[in-house]
Amino acid sequence: MLQVEGVSAGYGKFNVLNDISIKVDDGTTVIMVGSNGAGKSTLLKAISGVVRPACGAIYFNRERIDGCPPHQIVEMGIAFVPEGGRIFSELTVYENLKMGSYPATARREFAASLRQVFQLFPLLENREKQVAGSLSGGERQMLAIARALMTKPKLIMLDEPSSGLAPKIVAKVFEFVETIKAQGYSIFMVEQNVLKAVGLAEYAYLLETGTLVYEGEKQEFLENPKIRASYLGI
Amino acid sequence: MGNLILNGLANGILYGGGLALLAVGMNLIFGVMNVIHLAYGQCVMVALYAVYVFAVLLHLPLLLSCVIAVGISALLALLIHVAVVNPLLKAPLINQLLALAGVMIVLENIILAVFGSDYLGIQISFPVFAIGDVYIKISSLIPFGVGLATLALLWLFLNRTYTGLAIRAVVHDRDMAELMGVRTGRVYWLTFAIGGILAGVVAACFAPIYTVHPHFGAAFTLTAFVIVVLGGLGNLLGGSIAAFLIGVISQVTGVVFTSEIGEILVYAIFIIFILFRPQGLLGAKVRT
Repeated sequence: MLQVEGVSAGYGKFNVLNDISIKVDDGTTVIMVGSNGAGKSTLLKAISGVVRPACGAIYFNRERIDGCPPHQIVEMGIAFVPEGGRIFSELTVYENLKMGSYPATARREFAASLRQVFQLFPLLENREKQVAGSLSGGERQMLAIARALMTKPKLIMLDEPSSGLAPKIVAKVFEFVETIKAQGYSIFMVEQNVLKAVGLAEYAYLLETGTLVYEGEKQEFLENPKIRASYLGI
Repeated sequence: MGNLILNGLANGILYGGGLALLAVGMNLIFGVMNVIHLAYGQCVMVALYAVYVFAVLLHLPLLLSCVIAVGISALLALLIHVAVVNPLLKAPLINQLLALAGVMIVLENIILAVFGSDYLGIQISFPVFAIGDVYIKISSLIPFGVGLATLALLWLFLNRTYTGLAIRAVVHDRDMAELMGVRTGRVYWLTFAIGGILAGVVAACFAPIYTVHPHFGAAFTLTAFVIVVLGGLGNLLGGSIAAFLIGVISQVTGVVFTSEIGEILVYAIFIIFILFRPQGLLGAKVRT
């Protein structure tokens, strides 16, 4: 479904990613872990069109997408939930969800998508008319994920969904991710919370200072001594 | 004295409606694009001349002349956006201001070259009617009524349509709006075009009342700017409230004392706001 081949990217003269190749198969959950500043968010931004790769190629359903603007990427079926969710805090919950269905393909199915989202996240239906900025941290993350679902994505990319949240709320957020995984969505998630994230995934990558240093299926990833020592504290 | 104040209040509210209409276009453009449209008043002035040309020189019906003037104003706005504003969107603020100041001078001098410096007007006299001791000018009722209707339509557009929702999303978080599929380039030119339409509507309301002169644009721009700042830059509700306050203050002071003292009071209040509450009535305080 998603294929990243030899991508290098950065900001101006500052290179953050070096020769990254990853893939996400249809219907799977793939995670990328790494410490702060490793380049995980930059990879998501390169895929979603926010950052233009300096070299390499990105394919989505065999169509080359690197260099496409963000609005075209989302119309193709890739939804990106940035770190912190970045909900429109002065719009209501309903308006945030409606914005999610802005792409033409999603607009036609707005009513059905809204029903689905409210079934998955009933709390949002209760808070429909509430201004989004008044929601708690966990509720905002729920809204951000629900808004991404409204775009009718084929792939959902999540950037550190647990970032900045209290442990109890982190557990809730990972429950949200499990909920959408159970719906059959393909998910590509970057996270610092390795144990919880790998628990959800079929495949995992480890990124360190812009370079892929390890990849593997869930079990072999968790059994790797370096990862156990550096990231799981075992 | 009581009657004077009552008349000032009534006409001030009506005047405020026209001011709200004048300011909303500039406010919308700033709210969406962070651009202070210094040539906004000149766009109103050009639309006023358009009404004059079609209604007086070409003898078209007044309503048709106004509709054409609105169209011309929208096209002028798009031209300014494409030629001047869009290329400077990422430039420093001072560059934008200087370029738009240049547009101001260009428009004024084009009009001066074509029409000369005589005051021109449509010369329609409107009746005055009385409700008790309060005398209402029909010429003030028109911009008030049109202003309210336009603000209501704008509210419906921004709150009940996908495009309006996209514009509001761009105001709050442009990058996130793009990730939702919004083409911000389109939003920008649409916003500028709406600003142009609103300038044309202002001209249509003011054309039967005011004579027009190439240098009127500066007065319109200054008035609109004061209202926008007093209300809170980019805040449409704040701008509307500020417009009515200014309308009432200037008219009441004008009838009790003189119109010059009314102007002095309005600008004194503006200076006080800049000193003590620069974010305006409903603007958010900027944290540094």
